[in-house]
Amino acid sequence: MSPSALLPLCAGIGVLALPFALSDFWIFIAIEVLAFSLYAVSFNVLLGYGGMLSFGHAAFFGVGGYAAALLVKKTGLSAGLAFALLPIVAMGISAVVAAIVGFFSVRRSGIYFAMLTFAFQMLLYTVALKATGLTGGDDGMTGLKPPGALAQPLVYYYFALAVVVPALYVLFRLVSSPFGYTLRALRSNARRVQYVGVDVRAHQLATFVITGAFAGLAGAVFALSSGNVFPGWLNWTASATPIVMAVLGGVHTFLGPALGAAVYVVLEVLISGRTEYWPLAMGVIILALVLLMPAGLTGLVRARRSA
Amino acid sequence: MSSVLELLAQQFAWAQDPVVVARQTLAGVSNGMLLFLISAGLSLIFGVLRIINFAHGALFMLGAFIAVSLTGRVPESAAGFLAALIGATAGLAVIGIAIETGLLRRIYRAPHEFQLLVTFALVFILGDAAKLIWGREDHSVAVPALLGGSTQALGLTFPTYRLFLIAAGISVAFGLWIVLHRTRWGIFVRAATMDRAMLSALGVNTRRLFTAVFALGAGLAGLGGALAAPVVAVGPGLHVQVIIDAFVVVVIGGMGSVMGALVASLLVGIVNAFGVLAFPGLAVVLTFACMAIVLIVRPWGLFGIPE
Amino acid sequence: MTADGEPILRVESLAKRFGGLQALGGVDLAVARGEFRAIIGPNGAGKSTFFNTMTGLLRPDSGRVIFEGREVTGEPPHVLARMGVGRTFQITSVFHDLSALENVQVSLLAHARRAWSVWPQASTLYAERAQELLALVGLAGSGGRLAGALAHGDQKRLELAIALAGRPRLLLLDEPTAGMAAHERIESITLVHRVARELELSCVFTEHDMAVVFAVATRITVMHQGRVLAEGTPAEVRARPEVQQVYLGESVTPQGGCA
Repeated sequence: MSPSALLPLCAGIGVLALPFALSDFWIFIAIEVLAFSLYAVSFNVLLGYGGMLSFGHAAFFGVGGYAAALLVKKTGLSAGLAFALLPIVAMGISAVVAAIVGFFSVRRSGIYFAMLTFAFQMLLYTVALKATGLTGGDDGMTGLKPPGALAQPLVYYYFALAVVVPALYVLFRLVSSPFGYTLRALRSNARRVQYVGVDVRAHQLATFVITGAFAGLAGAVFALSSGNVFPGWLNWTASATPIVMAVLGGVHTFLGPALGAAVYVVLEVLISGRTEYWPLAMGVIILALVLLMPAGLTGLVRARRSA
Repeated sequence: MSSVLELLAQQFAWAQDPVVVARQTLAGVSNGMLLFLISAGLSLIFGVLRIINFAHGALFMLGAFIAVSLTGRVPESAAGFLAALIGATAGLAVIGIAIETGLLRRIYRAPHEFQLLVTFALVFILGDAAKLIWGREDHSVAVPALLGGSTQALGLTFPTYRLFLIAAGISVAFGLWIVLHRTRWGIFVRAATMDRAMLSALGVNTRRLFTAVFALGAGLAGLGGALAAPVVAVGPGLHVQVIIDAFVVVVIGGMGSVMGALVASLLVGIVNAFGVLAFPGLAVVLTFACMAIVLIVRPWGLFGIPE
Repeated sequence: MTADGEPILRVESLAKRFGGLQALGGVDLAVARGEFRAIIGPNGAGKSTFFNTMTGLLRPDSGRVIFEGREVTGEPPHVLARMGVGRTFQITSVFHDLSALENVQVSLLAHARRAWSVWPQASTLYAERAQELLALVGLAGSGGRLAGALAHGDQKRLELAIALAGRPRLLLLDEPTAGMAAHERIESITLVHRVARELELSCVFTEHDMAVVFAVATRITVMHQGRVLAEGTPAEVRARPEVQQVYLGESVTPQGGCA
């Protein structure tokens, strides 16, 4: 077996065997890592590959979470059926919302694009907060449970794995495809790419919708694992989370943000467990990251390798 | 059809009562003045430094907390209140200098996501710092006796403090106008919002200009916070709420324009005051919808510079 | 399809105003198939504005642009590109973050309408054809290098390869030799000329350097203050008194600024 295949193989086995070595609490954390990895990687397809800095990606994560909650609690479908439809419904609703937001947002670029995504996220936040009949308002929606055996953390872990890994693979194929090449070219030189026959707005909109849909899927997976979803998932402060994870892991590789997600989630668990001042800690970590380690964790590894 | 008209008539029944209209207008204008104090600084900081300072709400909050501390021992004393205003303004100006020289200066050339992360980090750090210093409960500041009670004007009764706020806002706006249009430094600042590169080519010390602009913006936010302290609940979470309306104002008024901030602040203040009467739940949605519409149709706002 | 004799590009009374400035005051142009047309004129004559308005980067105020008999006035750049119009820019415009090979591959993929293809691995697609194009412009060994790291002259060659990837029938080159040293310029335009002959392309290019123009151009259009001053074969144009007056006192070395 070639050495370059050894590392992924070990990682694969490790990921599959992981839950047997963990307590229930840590299995929930592992599920959170999986969901947030998808969230962060989807965000990075938009930022790292597409050059589009969105201030409103958290909106789609939240919409996916609420879609999952509504599907399980309000549609009256049997638990099994609701669950089977979960990925499609969550991605579908997030995609539609992303299409509406994206349609208006990609007409502008740079700072105006970012502020538009911010405005739309705040609109959705307000809906989540005020539409009490639908979304539970300020209290959010709680008591979400996957049906039957899936309610056990161990089983749900494999469900999450079965959703997240193929999703990541699809995104990977996307960025390695002609669509992905065109996206990178667009980021590199939007004017030039028009002159080779690319409709920039259409391409950006498609990317926005796809990444929004996958963020929604991540939100749905996490909502049913944590058992609840709150309006706070859509508040503007939540916009920082995908950015932190992506930059922490490194925006120049496909899986870098997944590593960032893992580190972020574990740090959050460890620090929140000891103090209520997690925001303070997160702020300090962000500053250290930006000032001392701008290429992220994967950047450190690459620097070591070429040294 | 007539029932719809009836419904509308009911919603707007208050419009027939001059006392209500006058009271809401006053509330709207005085809130607008507070909003102006935050937004003017935010707009200038964006216009000159090209940074969206998400932490601006936190600076406002710190100003309010400083006022809480400085008036705590001498409630209702006019001298104490004056000390609070001066202390908050000066204190925040100093904090602003520290932030700009220590932190922002290093990231002016960094990719936008890094700049975003830094201001977010400040939100988290300052928010928790306030919690550590002043605790988790809401505080209040008593209106100084001199400015308490009500005043008769135009045959109606108004809370004196609200009138004071309007007067204070007008004074600050006037003062800013003098500085920006009648001093050499002010001309540099306005030039910087239009063409930064040109300015340094002319030999202006842009580093000191940037620091001064940020300090001015921070000081204004601090003043706003101190002035707002008697009329808002000063507690954790304040910094997350106030920034949102400020963004709406800056977008509608035009990023970089103080005049735009003034006009838009009054607009938003009044619309909010009446919106709360007419469409209680939806007033908030209205502001975000306006923000989105401006960004879609005319992103540089009312008074900004088209790009 | 156009009958023989129909110009590949026809521009009628193209006008564009910027505030108080009439950048283009009604420009007429007709380029026949296979021509190598130079557009010359002093700085400010309107050459770049002309290109930008023709290719949809700017909307004209009035006038028409007709490519191969079809009206294309005001169409956005990507539509024109798909119809067979290629363009290079005065300030070299390549995809800096991608390798030279990827630069050409992206262009080939876009032209083949495969920019929306989401499943296949792009790294192998059109790699051979991309390599061929790189060789055609003299960049055979540089495929793996980052486009942003190439020397200026090589970036210009890469830009030509990118434009050629779209199999254009008309190539518009905005100051193709800008920023080059004197000896490079003739070499560069000769390469373009050779490639154009080989691939049977029609070319329109703007230029400041007279030596370059007279070396390869089949016809010359002289612009001045947003209008066409004169047009004809190099010999005809050289003899016209108005042209001599406009260029009187102008040295032959290029300015390199925007028109």
